[in-house]
Amino acid sequence: MSSDLDRQIEQLKRCEPLKESEVKALCLKAMEILVEESNVQRVDAPVTICGDIHGQFYDMKELFKVGGDCPKTNYLFLGDFVDRGFYSVETFLLLLALKVRYPDRITLIRGNHESRQITQVYGFYDECLRKYGSVNVWRYCTDIFDYLSLSALIENRIFSVHGGLSPAITTLDQIRTIDRKQEVPHDGAMCDLLWSDPEDVVEAWGVSPRGAGYLFGGNVVTSFNHSNNIDYVCRAHQLVMEGYKWMFNNQIVTVWSAPNYCYRCGNVAAILELDENLKKVFRVFEAAPQESRGVPSKKPAPDYFL
Amino acid sequence: MAMIDEPLYPISILIDELKNEDIQLRLNSIRRLSTIARALGEERTRKELIPFLSENNDDDDEVLLAMAEELGVFIPYVGGVEYAHVLLPPLETFCTVEETCVRDKAVESLCRIGAQMKESDQADWFIPMVKRLAGGEWFTARVSSCGLFHIAYPSAPELLKAELRSTYGQLCQDDMPMVRRSAASNLGKFAATVEPSHLKTDIMSLFEDLTHDDQDSVRLLAVEGCAVLGKLLEPQDCVSHVLPLIINFSQDKSWRVRYMVASQLYELCEAVGPEPTRADLVPAYVRLLRDNEAEVRIAAAGKVTKFCRILNPQLALQHILPCVKELSSDSSQHVRSALASAIMGMAPVLGKEATIEQLLPIFLLLLKDEFPDVRLSIISKLDEVNQVIGIDLLYQSLLPAIFELAEDRHWRVRLAIIEYIPLLASQLGVEFFDEKLGSLCMQWLEDKVYSIRDAAATNLKRLAEEFGPDWAMQHIVPQVLNMINNPHYLYRMTILHAISLLAPVMGSEITCQKLLLVVINASKDRVPNIKFNVAKVLQSLIPIVDHSVVEQTIRPCLVELSEDPDVDVRYFATQALHASEQVMMSS
Repeated sequence: MSSDLDRQIEQLKRCEPLKESEVKALCLKAMEILVEESNVQRVDAPVTICGDIHGQFYDMKELFKVGGDCPKTNYLFLGDFVDRGFYSVETFLLLLALKVRYPDRITLIRGNHESRQITQVYGFYDECLRKYGSVNVWRYCTDIFDYLSLSALIENRIFSVHGGLSPAITTLDQIRTIDRKQEVPHDGAMCDLLWSDPEDVVEAWGVSPRGAGYLFGGNVVTSFNHSNNIDYVCRAHQLVMEGYKWMFNNQIVTVWSAPNYCYRCGNVAAILELDENLKKVFRVFEAAPQESRGVPSKKPAPDYFL
Repeated sequence: MAMIDEPLYPISILIDELKNEDIQLRLNSIRRLSTIARALGEERTRKELIPFLSENNDDDDEVLLAMAEELGVFIPYVGGVEYAHVLLPPLETFCTVEETCVRDKAVESLCRIGAQMKESDQADWFIPMVKRLAGGEWFTARVSSCGLFHIAYPSAPELLKAELRSTYGQLCQDDMPMVRRSAASNLGKFAATVEPSHLKTDIMSLFEDLTHDDQDSVRLLAVEGCAVLGKLLEPQDCVSHVLPLIINFSQDKSWRVRYMVASQLYELCEAVGPEPTRADLVPAYVRLLRDNEAEVRIAAAGKVTKFCRILNPQLALQHILPCVKELSSDSSQHVRSALASAIMGMAPVLGKEATIEQLLPIFLLLLKDEFPDVRLSIISKLDEVNQVIGIDLLYQSLLPAIFELAEDRHWRVRLAIIEYIPLLASQLGVEFFDEKLGSLCMQWLEDKVYSIRDAAATNLKRLAEEFGPDWAMQHIVPQVLNMINNPHYLYRMTILHAISLLAPVMGSEITCQKLLLVVINASKDRVPNIKFNVAKVLQSLIPIVDHSVVEQTIRPCLVELSEDPDVDVRYFATQALHASEQVMMSS
């Protein structure tokens, strides 16, 4: 069993997508694992935290070259695996296959792009259709999105989430009571966790220009960290040109892992390495050089007699 | 899946789907055109399928493209070569559509078919078609026609040949630049089929017209023609006719034309031969190396070694090297990068003395370039220079630069340096490979980038292989083992990896006495990742050490790990236990 999975992982590392039937089987196994995870998934140190990837497969390979391969290095990915880049299918399936093969070595939580509605607009849906000739793979993947955890708690000290905080949430226990197995709602606690942004000028809560989630200020973070007894919040969701950015007196940090975002923003990316004593180092990296990228292949149309 | 012996029932579906609304289905059907034809039989293919396709010419470009391609290999399905002409009408239509891809594919298919047709059939069908296209009202037909002359010409009777030549001449002077471009880029192919007597007169005068075209897009295609035509002409004709054109082009007012000369330079030199190159093309090349336009300098700089190989060292030193010096501090990083990727090959051409005196300072300058690609190009080809200047000098002059690059900001530059170390070590020998280089190799084990740490471990193995276990025992092993206490798990992991690579080189005794203990101790680590890597390393040590050691030391440790709370530790420990059992059983 694991040898089959090991072969699939090797194949995905070469950026070759799996067969539709293999995706289906992989998703079923992933579902069994993810359904057991908490909305606030417990994660042990040491672990390396990564932000948005957005289908930039070769840049994710660069990330592994800098951070080390899974399972040698433990990873926590903060969502937004898909959309925008050329290789959302291969990116997400590789991460999912690693999750199934090494459930204790890699944690995946949900980003706002892990949603049926968003992926139909920003590329993942079209990519699945183009690469498989049908939307089945998109359906399997989006069904799995509903099972992804909403946040992670590292050694009870660092709270990790894709977007940010929610006015409906003051304690971690309130997150634990959410029924997460659904499409991301348009409002409410679950939506806010995936959509909100920290903002300097906001005192407490403000209207988000994204149309979902909230802007939240330093005071909100201070009281959240205090009442939940955590050191800081680690989140992704926003492009930062330097790869990472501390805010509100080191109470919240943004980690962004898609270098040269959308293949044109010119930003560097970062990952946050936490060692076994939670000592933190940011590793900054650049986009993969042109010659190490595969050419986007124009796959022939799916076989007529299939 | 489609098999070779497909059942016949889908045929009617395929034919239906040739007319389907969904483009995807039409495309699939076109891709199965040969299946349809086989099912219909040769006669009905000729009388029904081909005419149907000819009428069906206002389809999507993607469908037309597929049709144009399929028809190119359709001769067997219409009844063989004698019926090949029935394929011409649909392809002739495709030659006139607006989409360039479709036209190009149609021309390609027509060439393929035309080349197989009998001479009389060519005269009856192919040549008239070429003439029709060449006289076409819409420019697309005339563009397409240019690519067909070289097929039509050889079999044509004398009178018709003269007509074809004059028709091609008209195309070269067509009002539309697109047509003249096509005529220019196909001229070489056509010229190759024309008799030598006409080549010198008719074709060369056509060509000279094109070289004076007022559109630079036409002239730059003529540059390529210089190389092709040059090879067709007698050497003395080439020098008298083509060489002046090349020299003119190298001073063309359009930089795109000059760029073309720079990037085609080697082919052009080949065409005119070494003597005229030395006499006449050196000044032209020097001008290109000093061109105002960076793009031109990039193309020229990349050719520097190839060009110097044609020259003698003296000419290269006298004329080319001064330009190279200027380029090494060019304001464009891309020019410097192009130069860096080509310059190392100059060392063998210039010889030892000139390399030391002239090239080495340039290498050193480029090694300090602010642009990482430039530095990388130089490092990755250092071995070409070793052979020329010898190790002593390389040691003195390049080593300081290497130390600097060993800490380069870009990890790929560091990686290139690490990968160069074993080669350097083998050339330096054990006495030159000093403490400083040694400590550098250790320092990389603690690099912040995983790939560097990984390469550093491999590098240690290769050094141990090069200098032997005794040397490694003194200079590598103790230092490596010390680092197992690093507080960060990723760095401890690197050390485990290095141990597993070193063990086979060091042999059984040292492995048992020195290395094994460190690995066994690491099995008590608090981080599961270390523990399952211990299991993997132990598995790799089994074939190296004695059975007694496996029994008494390795297996007890693996048994303990196989009961670890962590699932991955248990998995890899169990794997290793299985492997150990197999080794024990097989002996």
